[in-house]
Amino acid sequence: MDIDDILREVDPTFHSVPLEKRDLQELTRAWVAERSAPELLPWPSNGFFERINDNIKRQIERVEDMTGDMDPKTNFALIVIQTELERYRYLVRSYLRARLAKIDRHALHYLSTDELRARMSDVELAYATRHQALLHNHYLSSFLSSFPPNLQNLNDSAGINMVEAPDLDSAVFVRLLRDTLVTAKGVEDDNAVKGMEISVALIDVESHDTHDP
Amino acid sequence: MALPLPPGLTHAEVAFLAEMELVTVVPRQRLDSIDLLGGKTPVLRPPHRADLPLWLALLLKKQRRANILPPAWLHPASLSDIIHAETKLNPEAFSEPPPRPSRADPSRPGIARRQHGSGGGDDGDDDDDDGVYSGGVTLSAPFRPSCTADAPAGYLPYHWLEVAEQLLAHAGDDVAAALGGGGGGSGGTATSLSSSSSVLGEVRGLLRDLVEVRAAKLRSSTAALGSFGGGVMSLRGVGAMELAESRGFVLGVVDGVRKLGASVETARREAEEEGMDEGGDGESDEEMGF
Repeated sequence: MDIDDILREVDPTFHSVPLEKRDLQELTRAWVAERSAPELLPWPSNGFFERINDNIKRQIERVEDMTGDMDPKTNFALIVIQTELERYRYLVRSYLRARLAKIDRHALHYLSTDELRARMSDVELAYATRHQALLHNHYLSSFLSSFPPNLQNLNDSAGINMVEAPDLDSAVFVRLLRDTLVTAKGVEDDNAVKGMEISVALIDVESHDTHDP
Repeated sequence: MALPLPPGLTHAEVAFLAEMELVTVVPRQRLDSIDLLGGKTPVLRPPHRADLPLWLALLLKKQRRANILPPAWLHPASLSDIIHAETKLNPEAFSEPPPRPSRADPSRPGIARRQHGSGGGDDGDDDDDDGVYSGGVTLSAPFRPSCTADAPAGYLPYHWLEVAEQLLAHAGDDVAAALGGGGGGSGGTATSLSSSSSVLGEVRGLLRDLVEVRAAKLRSSTAALGSFGGGVMSLRGVGAMELAESRGFVLGVVDGVRKLGASVETARREAEEEGMDEGGDGESDEEMGF
């Protein structure tokens, strides 16, 4: 805690949202976004997930410590802690599994450029690479090896591109956190609507950009 | 391992989110603060109200350790006001979402300011999130206190249907006790059993009306989807569960329309690009299947 934190705490304009709550909200938002977006979203690289994992680990240790004593009063607290822990872990698990589903489906696409690779965490990248290699080897040993050598690749982009990419133009629902301009690419017209905060807009394209009004 | 669900939140997942909404409880037992992953819970001392996430409030309720105070918008009068607004005053739009609470502005004494206001904030000082206002984080749906006892009447929050259902299902007696007195206060506990169940029936009936009115609107808004050329459609005021309900249908229609108009769209974009004479940003990867 440095001087900024102290100042922020006494500042009445800072409606002190504690770090834990901010983390939970960020995790929830990441999960909702990942579940709804057609493409893989960038992995939070600022140590966010490491922090969350550490917190979970610490909480599990606390549960293990607390299961020892049978005092009915702390017993209830234990139930609450375990319930919350399970909810939290569900969020984390579902988030990771949603990402895994996207990586599985479009592995070659996400491995194709450095920019797309950067969206994955180290573990996800290792998984995608190894999984893809295993799959390719399996194809090779079962049928691809009897093909002519120039047809044995899986990422042939001459003619129709073999690498399947997620449909970036599909429609999404967007919830706005504040007044902002929502732009989208429509069929007949590109459009920009000044959205009000907390309204929900339906957008015909994934790669929208938001500007401050 | 990978999640087998299609993109978009399912009903169960929306309900999970709704359980994070804060509700107000009146504890019946002391309970010390518990250090949870999502932050410390407030200390519960019997006559004092406290705001807790719905899942915890329901847990306490089940163990008869607390009573839940229903939010003001769940009151029959508030619900029928909303229905009136949805059907008579503005039969086209959905009713407004709750306004941001106001707070005193310390830099200008005597002037109230909308909390997390987007107008006056000097943005851009910290984090990467686009929901950041000066000094902190913008709270969004499940984390804003929109279902507590202090929440304003007459506005439906984002998770209104889910929270109302949960409260009626698991804390029906509390809802009846709080709403049965007519005025809403805590004096309603003495109402007889028959009148409390009639209040519940009334609330349920109003909720069902509201669901139907709004579902009809959402359905008729798909007529606008047919000519969905603009790209953006505002659905201000629609709840999370209603979105989940119609997500598959709406997105299917939009994508279908888009595919039908794909050739028109590519032609238009090419014409635009030629006109503007500058490289489009990665527009070449549009493969529409046919």
